Amino acid sequence: MNLSVCIKQVPDVSAPISIKEGTLSQDTDRMVLDAYSASAVEEALVLTEKHGGEVQVVLVGPEKAKETIRKALAMGAASGVHILIEDISGLDSSAFAEILAAWHKKASFDAILTGKQSQDTDAGLTGSMLAWNLELPFAANAVGLQFENDSFIVKRQGDSGQEMVELKSPCLITCSNDMNDPRIPSLKGIMQSKRKTVETVTPADLGIEASALNSDSKTERKGFKEVPGREPGKKFEGEADEMVSNLMNLLENEAKVL
Amino acid sequence: MSKILVHVATADGKIKRSSLEVLSYCRKLADDNGLGLEAAVLDIDPSRYTDALNTYGPDKIYNLKHPIFSNHLSSPVIDAFSLLVEKSSPRLVAFASTESTKEVMGALAARHNAAAIPDVASFTLNGNSVDAERPVMAAKVLSKTSSSSDLVFVSVRSGSYDTAEKPGTAEVEEVAFDFDEAGLKSVLKEVISSAGDKVDLSEAEVVVAAGRGIKDEEGRKLIEDLANSLGAAVGASRAVTESGLFPATLQIGQTGKVVSPQLYFAVGISGAIQHVAGMANSKVIVAINKDPDAPIFQYATYGLVGDLFKILPLLTEQIKQVKAG
Repeated sequence: MNLSVCIKQVPDVSAPISIKEGTLSQDTDRMVLDAYSASAVEEALVLTEKHGGEVQVVLVGPEKAKETIRKALAMGAASGVHILIEDISGLDSSAFAEILAAWHKKASFDAILTGKQSQDTDAGLTGSMLAWNLELPFAANAVGLQFENDSFIVKRQGDSGQEMVELKSPCLITCSNDMNDPRIPSLKGIMQSKRKTVETVTPADLGIEASALNSDSKTERKGFKEVPGREPGKKFEGEADEMVSNLMNLLENEAKVL
Repeated sequence: MSKILVHVATADGKIKRSSLEVLSYCRKLADDNGLGLEAAVLDIDPSRYTDALNTYGPDKIYNLKHPIFSNHLSSPVIDAFSLLVEKSSPRLVAFASTESTKEVMGALAARHNAAAIPDVASFTLNGNSVDAERPVMAAKVLSKTSSSSDLVFVSVRSGSYDTAEKPGTAEVEEVAFDFDEAGLKSVLKEVISSAGDKVDLSEAEVVVAAGRGIKDEEGRKLIEDLANSLGAAVGASRAVTESGLFPATLQIGQTGKVVSPQLYFAVGISGAIQHVAGMANSKVIVAINKDPDAPIFQYATYGLVGDLFKILPLLTEQIKQVKAG
């Protein structure tokens, strides 16, 4: 079984963040493997360990993102594809999906795995757009995945309950971070990753003109702003029974929500 | 006249509140911009919602009836809704952001060569531009995202807008939809409902959510007792779904469910920004935490600093009395 995992390099969202004149400023410029991508890599590795085959990771991004491909290789992916675009700041999900579709039209795979969204934008569009572009059966927000009789059995988190969906191969599945705990690369894995192949391709190699990239993007980011705060509330300390009486009074007579 | 098309999400014979919020706001947006408002219902029996929809004043309702909508597969929804996009020819399509929406919106936008702005906290129309704000970077900031595409899809986080009635009488069009189930490339095998799914968390009017402070089974029992006394849905922070004390389906936050109840109890929850992103649209927030400096108190309408193991039994008892009242 050969699995292609689309991964993304993202800023470390756990680092403190501030906004200066509409642009983001972080204390660190540390870039990391997106956590949802990491879950997709982990799940692909588990499947190939059970059923044989290899995992290839595919990343769209600048030269600096190569370190993120190496991370996935150190986890155990067999090879990497780096679709090299130095400035991805103007690209939205539509553009990423076009680029990834162009690569996968030439590739062979039993399934494509992606994160259900990425930690930086939380958009969650690229997977379903890519599935549409490649006309693949698709399931989003997988929390479990099995392979039986040439089909993938996806357990996905729906709005009410979990849904078991069977997808014929080849197909595309987006992965939740609730699916697994991605492995930490071992020292051996890190050493081996240095000898693994990373193929670098340009959009031109895929038949995409540089000028077309931005017109594939249909949305534009106009800047950032603070999340609005809430009105300050009332805070009580002291004996439990007194606090509960105060709260009951407010819920009934001020907020009127009981 | 150009139009806004709203997808109407239904569950168990009811229109989802989050869809009514979107419909209410889009009625106003359509009026302000001289646009028509159309609603699309995909259901096994869509006409049962017509009266309720008329309360919110769409100009037209498309009813698309098919037994396939009784299951949760996305590909029939994509095909059916595409048909309506072609019929309606809107400039803007609005969804309530749900797990089901997330599975179809990207494919729909790609199919119609349209822009997609998902999971917005707010959006508006400015001339040819759709301008939205959506939380990014683990919900620490809002991104201002715009599109001037001829067709734009947006999905709206629940609780972003209030419902507002505006009664009218819509023209109703029954749309025929043929779907070849034999051609399906995906098959729904089973739906697994856990106990926690009895009340749909994202639609609930009252939510009692548990965090690390509840510690163990005893704490969980106190949470469930309080929820039962209120007829509330139970939710949880990532810390206690990861520990296995609550199922992952109940996780509230940026990576879990977004809730917007009238009343939200955050019990033993410190208030990490990722959790707050999933509940900050709640109308009244009650926080119970022993740490007076817990960030959750910055969001709380009413904050109780103290031991939840003492507070919850008293609170549950008093609520029972009021409800019996």
